[in-house]
Amino acid sequence: MELISGIAATTGALSAQRTRLDIIAQNIANAHTTRGPDGKAYQRRTVSFEAELLGASSGTVGLSTVRVAQIQIDKTPGQRINDPGHPDADEEGMVTMPNVNLSMEMVDLITASRAYEANLSVAKNARQMALKTLQIGR
Amino acid sequence: MTIIGSLPPISTPGLAPGAPALTPSLPSPSREITPGANKPFAAMFDQAISSVETRQAEAAAITKEVLLGNNPNLHQSVIAMQEASLSFSLMVEVRNKVVQSYQELMRMPV
Repeated sequence: MELISGIAATTGALSAQRTRLDIIAQNIANAHTTRGPDGKAYQRRTVSFEAELLGASSGTVGLSTVRVAQIQIDKTPGQRINDPGHPDADEEGMVTMPNVNLSMEMVDLITASRAYEANLSVAKNARQMALKTLQIGR
Repeated sequence: MTIIGSLPPISTPGLAPGAPALTPSLPSPSREITPGANKPFAAMFDQAISSVETRQAEAAAITKEVLLGNNPNLHQSVIAMQEASLSFSLMVEVRNKVVQSYQELMRMPV
């Protein structure tokens, strides 16, 4: 039985947004990584979501929550800079930098953070509604 | 006469939870069970209490997992705790109502 209505959908959304935040953190952390496990520069990851239908229990409509569909790799080529002293420089002295754009990542970070906050507000309000319902008996 | 006569069947389900604990010597007047509820209120309330306890144990388990670092989802722990707290409040509310109805009955002039 679900005591706080719609909390399952909110929980899924919170998990999804948290994953998104993790991926953004990974992108920002690797903004200057010129060598990954494959020997190439880091490529930024993006997260996409998909709806997931929750089983309808008695007395509730079938809600859908959200989950992470997949984590794609952004294939756009990274900036190439001339730095012959760099250990990852090629024969011409060029180094491929990761295709992470910090300003884009910051915008994504704010979006993810606000989306998380919005879902927290839903959870808070649902809880308050349930508490107010208990006040009927007083 | 008719009012008093109609009282026992109504008050029996309400009196049942308080009766065994508060006045154990009181024999249950009639084991007549209403068609809606096929088990006594005390058993139902007992089940509700154990389900509240289960929720609290679940919340504690999730919180422990989060604190141990096995589960990165902090919100699951907080939401589980909120659900446990809410179900506990509901249980207290039901208990208050039961005690209130018992006291109401005890105040009844005979």
